[in-house]
Amino acid sequence: MRVEENCGNSRNNSLVKRVVRVCLASCLLVLVAAVTDSVFDLKPPLGLDFVLQNSPTPQKCLIETMPGGVALLDYNNDGLLDIFLVNGGHISSPAKYPDNFDRHDPRYWNRLYRQNKDGSFTDVTEQAGLAGAGDGNYGMGVAVGDYDNDGYPDLYVTSYGKNILYHNNGDGTFTDVTTKAGVAAGGWSVSAGFFDYDNDGRLDLFVTRYMEWDTRHNKDCGGNFHTYCPPGEFPRTTNILYHNRGDGTFEDVSQSSGIAAKKGHGLGVAFADYDGDGFTDIYVANDGMQQYLFHNNGNGTFTEVGLEEGAGLSVDGGPLSGMGVVFQDYDNDGLPDIIVTTLPRQTYGVFHNDGHSVFSDRGLQTGIRMMSGVTSGWGVGLEDFDNDGQKDLFITQGHVLDNVEQIDPSLKYLEPTLLAINHGGRFERVDSGSNDLVAGRGAAFGDLNNDGWMDVVTSVLGQHPQVFLNRGGNAHWLTITLRGTRSNRDGLGARVKVNGQTRFATTAGSYESASDKRVHFGLGDAKKANVEVLWPSGTRQTLNDIRVDQNLEIREPERP
Amino acid sequence: MRTILILFMAHAALAISPQAAQHLQSGREQEKQGHFDVAITEFRKVTELEPNFTEGFIALGQTYMEQRDFAAAVAPLKHALKLDASLLPAHQLLGYALLSQGYAAEAIPHLERVHEVGALGIAQLQAGNLPEALANLREALQKQPNDPDLLYYFGRASGLLSKQSIDTLLMTYPDSARGHQSMGENYFVLRQLPEAEKEYRKALELRPQTPNIHLELGQVYAMGSRWPQAEEQFRAEVKLQPGSAEAAFRLGDALLQQGKVQEARRELRRSDQLMPNMPETLYEFGKASALDGDAAAAEKAWLDLLGIEKDGALAAQAHFGLAGIYRNQGNTVEADKQMKAFREVQGGAAPQNER
Repeated sequence: MRVEENCGNSRNNSLVKRVVRVCLASCLLVLVAAVTDSVFDLKPPLGLDFVLQNSPTPQKCLIETMPGGVALLDYNNDGLLDIFLVNGGHISSPAKYPDNFDRHDPRYWNRLYRQNKDGSFTDVTEQAGLAGAGDGNYGMGVAVGDYDNDGYPDLYVTSYGKNILYHNNGDGTFTDVTTKAGVAAGGWSVSAGFFDYDNDGRLDLFVTRYMEWDTRHNKDCGGNFHTYCPPGEFPRTTNILYHNRGDGTFEDVSQSSGIAAKKGHGLGVAFADYDGDGFTDIYVANDGMQQYLFHNNGNGTFTEVGLEEGAGLSVDGGPLSGMGVVFQDYDNDGLPDIIVTTLPRQTYGVFHNDGHSVFSDRGLQTGIRMMSGVTSGWGVGLEDFDNDGQKDLFITQGHVLDNVEQIDPSLKYLEPTLLAINHGGRFERVDSGSNDLVAGRGAAFGDLNNDGWMDVVTSVLGQHPQVFLNRGGNAHWLTITLRGTRSNRDGLGARVKVNGQTRFATTAGSYESASDKRVHFGLGDAKKANVEVLWPSGTRQTLNDIRVDQNLEIREPERP
Repeated sequence: MRTILILFMAHAALAISPQAAQHLQSGREQEKQGHFDVAITEFRKVTELEPNFTEGFIALGQTYMEQRDFAAAVAPLKHALKLDASLLPAHQLLGYALLSQGYAAEAIPHLERVHEVGALGIAQLQAGNLPEALANLREALQKQPNDPDLLYYFGRASGLLSKQSIDTLLMTYPDSARGHQSMGENYFVLRQLPEAEKEYRKALELRPQTPNIHLELGQVYAMGSRWPQAEEQFRAEVKLQPGSAEAAFRLGDALLQQGKVQEARRELRRSDQLMPNMPETLYEFGKASALDGDAAAAEKAWLDLLGIEKDGALAAQAHFGLAGIYRNQGNTVEADKQMKAFREVQGGAAPQNER
C-alpha cells in the first residue's frame, strides 16, 4: 500500500530518515507498516493498572470467556472522562455451586479510575465506595445513566449473579441502591443500557441475559479438546426491562411490555428510534440465533419485528452469533443502521435501514463482509475517528474459545483490533495503531482528552485494558452535551443532526460497555455547523452558524 | 440362501438312518420356530449318528450362524467341506462366518467359489485388495444400488484406493507438482491454511499450467476470507479452464464477496450456462442480481432454484431472499408468504447456529 507516499509523507522526521535509508536499500513492502499514519496511538496511560481477571479453568466454565465491560463517564463532573472497568472474579476449579468468586479480594474488584488533568489516572475505587462487587457475582458489563436526573451519572453493573445499581452521590462517592431500586435481576446478565422508552423524562433500564445457566450445570464441549459450549447447549432466557418510577425505584415490566415474550441468548443491546415515530426501539444481539428488533409501540409495549423487517438473520437467512451491536447511521441518510459483531464462518451483520421499517443486509456493499469471515467481534462502535463527516467502524476482536487453534487451525484465539474508515458508505481497513493480538471484549468510545477526536478504551481478557488515543489532525469537529429539561437530563434518545449527519444520543451499545454521553461530530472542512436536536420530549430545537471545534452544551427549551 | 439349503437338505436326508432323519426333521422344525439351542442339539445328534453326512454339519453350522455364534459355526462347516469340497452352501456359509469374525483373507476363497460379490468385496477391502474390492463392490451395487452397507464399503474402498495412490505418488515423487498438490489438499482438509498455501504454491512453481491447483489454492484463500487473493487464483483457473463451471462459480463467489456484483453476475451466469440448473449457482446468481438492484433477475433465479429444489438449505435461502425482494417492493403479502415458506423449510423455526 502506497510505499512511495509513505516513504515521503511521514510526520516524524527521524522516522522518515530511517525509512528512506531502508527504502533506498531494499524498498520492501514490509516497511509500509512502519510508516503508515495510524489514527490511534496505543498508549497505556499512567495509573491505569487494571487487569481483567477472568480466571480461565480447565473445566471451561462458560462465564470466564465473556467479561468484561468498560465505561467512559465523567463521574465527578470535572470535565474529564473517567474509566470504569468491570472485573470477572475468581472461579474455583472445579467450579463450585454456589461460587463466591472472591470478589472481596481487591484483585477481583471492579475499578473506577479518575482522570487527572495531566491525562494520568488514579484508582479511586475504594474511596468512591465501589470496592468489592458482592460475593457470588461474577462481573460482566456496565451501563451508565443519570436515572434520577441529579446531574451525576450512575452506574449499573451486570453480573452472573446479582446486578448492582450504584447511585452517584455527587461528592465522588457511590451508594449501592440495588435493593431499594429493585433491579438486581439475577441469572446471567450481560449488557445493559439506560434509555427512556416512554418519554416520561426518566431513564429506564434494559438488561440482556444470556441463558439459563449456573456453575452447577456447566458443560464441557469439544470432545478431547475441552472447550466452552455453544449457547444452544443451554436453554434460552428472557431479557429484562425496568421502568423507572421516578422515586428511586424501578418496576420490572418485562412481562407487561412484551419483552419477556421472546426468549433468547442476549448479549449486546443498543437503542435508537429507527422508524422515526418518536419512541426509542431496542436491538438485542443474540448469540447463535435470530437477532431481536423490539419495536416500541409507544404505549408501553414492544413487538419483536426482526424477521419481518429484515434485521433478524444474515443475507442468506442464517442465524448470527450476535455479540456486540451498534445502532447508528453509517451512511448519513438520517436513519439508524445496525452493525452486529459475530463469530468466524459468519460475517458481521450489517443491516441498513432502508426506511419504511425495512432493513437490508449490506455486508457486501459496505465491505464489512470481507473483513469479518475469520474473526470474532465483540465491542463495536461507529464513530467519526478522522473527523471527515463519516462514521468509521471500530471492533475489538478475539475468539470465544481459548483453544480454538486446536479445533480449527485456520482460526486464532488472539486477534487484531479492527479499524475501518468509512469512504461514502464503504469501509476500508486501516492500521488501528496496534499490532497486538488480543482476546478483546468490551469497548467504550469517547473523547478522553477533550481534543475533539474520539478515543477508545477496550477490555482484554487476562490483561490490561487498551487505550487507543486518537492522534488527531486538522479536520473540524463539534461535541455536544445535551442538557434535557423536559426530557431526561442527558437527552438520551435525542436525534441530533449536524451538517447532514445524524447521531442518536446514547451511552449504550457495543458489548457490555457504556460510552461517553456526549454526541460527537466530525465536520471536515466546515467552519460552521447547523444543529438540529429532536428531543425525546418531541421538542425540535435548531441552532445555526455554530462555531466548530468546541464542546457545546445545548439546553432543551423548558417549553415546547 | 436359506431356501437353497432347505431344498438341498430335503434331498440329502433320504440317505440317512431313520433315527438320524428323525433328529434332522426335529432340528429343522425347532430351527424354523427360532428354538436354536434345541435345533443345535438335534443337529449335533445327526452329526454324531452320521459322521459322513455333510448336510448335518451344514445344518449345524447354519443354525449356529442364525444364533450369531459365528465362531461355533466354523468347525462343522469346515468339516462338511472336508467331506465334500464342492458343497457350495458350505462355502457360502463358511465365507460369511469367517468374514464376520474378521478372518477376511480366509473367507475370500469361499466367497469366490459362490461368487458372493458383495461379501467378497468387503472381505477383499478388509484384506487390503483394494482394486478387486472396488470391482466386486461396484458389481454388487449394480444389483442392490441402495444398500447402505454396500454404499459404505464402496465409499471406503474408493477412499482407501485414492489414499493408496496418493501415498505412492508422495513416496515416489515427493517433489512433483502433483505431490505438492496432494499435500496441499491434506493440509486444507486439516484447515492448516498456511501449510496448504505453501504446498500449492510449490506445485504451481513446478507446473503452473496444471489444472485445478489454482482452484484449490483459491479455496484456501476463500476459507481464510482472503478474497482478493482467492479472486486472483480463480481467475487463473478460469483462464486455464474456460469450460469449467466450478471455476466460474468460484470466481463469481469471490467477486460477490468483495461486492463486485456486476462482474460476479457475469461469471455466475457463465457458470450457469456451462452447467445449467445447479442450485448453488442459481442461488448465488440471484443474490448477486438482488445486490445489483435487478430484482426481476434475482426473483427468476430463485424461483428457478425452487423449481429444482423444494427442501434443504438453499431452498430456505431462496425463500428468504424472495421475502427480502417483496418486502423492498412493499409487497408484504408475498413477503409474508415467502417468510412462512422459509420457516417451514427451516423446520418451523429460525435455525440454531452453533459454534
